[in-house]
Amino acid sequence: MFEYPYKGVTFLVSIMEKRQTLSINNKLKVLLVETDHHKAQVLEDALQKSSYHIERVSHYGMPLLKQVEQSEPDIIIIDMESPDRDMLESLNRISNAVPKPVVMFSEKEDQSTINQLVKSGVSAYVIGGIDKARVKSIIDVALARFSEYQSLKNELKLTKQKLSSQKHIEKAKLWLMQNRDMNENDAYHFIRKTAMDNSQKVEDVAKNMLAMAAVFDG
Amino acid sequence: MSKLKLGFMPLTDCAPLVVAKELGFFAQAGLDVSLEKQNSWASMRDKLSVGAIDAGQVLAPMPLAGAMGLDAQCSDLIAPFVLSRNGNAITLSNALFAALKLSGDTSLPLSANQLLPLIDAYKTKGRKLRFATVYPYSCHYLQLLSFLDSGSIKKDDVEIMIISPQNMVLALRSGDIDGFCVGGPYNAKAVRDGVGITVATSIDIWPDLPEKVLAFKKQWYLKHPDIANALIKALQGACRWLEPSANRFEAAILLSQKNYLNNPVDIIAPSLLGSCITKINATPRTIPAYNRFTSSTEQNGNRPNKEEMLKIYRYFNAAFRSPNGTQWIEQLDLAEIYNTAIYDRATDWRVNPTTSSNKSTLNFASNVASSMHQNG
Repeated sequence: MFEYPYKGVTFLVSIMEKRQTLSINNKLKVLLVETDHHKAQVLEDALQKSSYHIERVSHYGMPLLKQVEQSEPDIIIIDMESPDRDMLESLNRISNAVPKPVVMFSEKEDQSTINQLVKSGVSAYVIGGIDKARVKSIIDVALARFSEYQSLKNELKLTKQKLSSQKHIEKAKLWLMQNRDMNENDAYHFIRKTAMDNSQKVEDVAKNMLAMAAVFDG
Repeated sequence: MSKLKLGFMPLTDCAPLVVAKELGFFAQAGLDVSLEKQNSWASMRDKLSVGAIDAGQVLAPMPLAGAMGLDAQCSDLIAPFVLSRNGNAITLSNALFAALKLSGDTSLPLSANQLLPLIDAYKTKGRKLRFATVYPYSCHYLQLLSFLDSGSIKKDDVEIMIISPQNMVLALRSGDIDGFCVGGPYNAKAVRDGVGITVATSIDIWPDLPEKVLAFKKQWYLKHPDIANALIKALQGACRWLEPSANRFEAAILLSQKNYLNNPVDIIAPSLLGSCITKINATPRTIPAYNRFTSSTEQNGNRPNKEEMLKIYRYFNAAFRSPNGTQWIEQLDLAEIYNTAIYDRATDWRVNPTTSSNKSTLNFASNVASSMHQNG
């Protein structure tokens, strides 16, 4: 009943020992924990495959930990919003056997990188004492690509919002034109004036109007 | 209205924040608060650190970890308000509980020394029981250590790991862990799902110590003292509203909503109503203070109390003592971290200024005032 499926937290000790013998010429092993397929693809495309070995996983919880044990990555890149961050970064903090195997990149020395990481929604953990310059270059790539991805996503959201608010306004105008005998220009001005008088957004007035109309038109 | 982003963790004891938002305490105080759900304490910490959120609900020991230099991202956190007390519990897997071979009339809470024979038996096989908790700098972790210690079980006799609350029940069910110490609603969830037995609550281990606190960065406070004051007032209102048990079921309904805990009322309500469900189809334990949102002793129930913080510090120091055995307390000003001066100013609460422990807080208050002056 109490057979453990894997060796547990002590595995980090073995990673540490191996890392000490890692040669500079070896490819860095990057574990990309990402459930968003597109986002993962963006990073994978950006990193030169010749310098990095990238492994992509979408596990969470204990299976993720088992994957980390199996893959022995140098760097783990994981979504800022992942619930598993506490698990990944805390392994060393409560185990006396392990000095400091997992650090969020540049915990002390580079606050601006951390700020950028948080804003672009990505967190990176470095396992063991690998060369800082090599870590920095991959983090920079990740940052640039994820910021780009994030801004594209935000832009898309804004465009969608705009489109839908435009749709509401158009519908409200149409209703006024059909039911209140206004021309298009009057209808728009009526909506805009109502918005200004009540210090509301034009879109919200249009929505309210449509909701009311739905009640009356029943 | 001042706009404010406030981080919360989807746990039962985020109730003061949800109540303040939903029942209008924030609005009354002139605050337009957006509650930002966090999935990990790491993200709460990082977002506070870079200003992506203005303030947040944090684990009471997190500001200590910053002040002691254990976690740079937690540095300069000020916690002027105690949001909650108690609320955690230790739940064991069905398999571990059965392996203890307790007699039928064993009463709860379980005493930790009942685990000893099993731990010893495992030792001969080179195995250890494995427990999980939610964060190293948490009351949960320290309570788990205290519980084990009460049965003369040392930290190294077991394995302890970190798992997020929402993955905890799954890990217990799959047999990856043998038990956990977590906050609500996840103990009740394990019991209702039939995968665990809740054997002790945090009250059985540490009665009534602070659990979560409101925290913000010192730099943020210096720029926004008035918003901080309004925030504290609003949260005090919410905590007082939560006091009568008549309001607790309503709180459970609010919390169960999708944008908050997104979990059914039948696992959120019991602890709020003072009931600890322990085992499927068993009579619950009556724990009136299972979730407390104001202090039972302090007249002003959310004011940080230095004696209580000192107790937490001692547990913390024992768990994270530096290798050379340094006592951090000499370099720490607990009254500045768990800042009573800010609380007092926000709530117009005046304390007797003759006691020595208040001197440093008043000094800090004048420091704050002078640096605010310098910043124009």
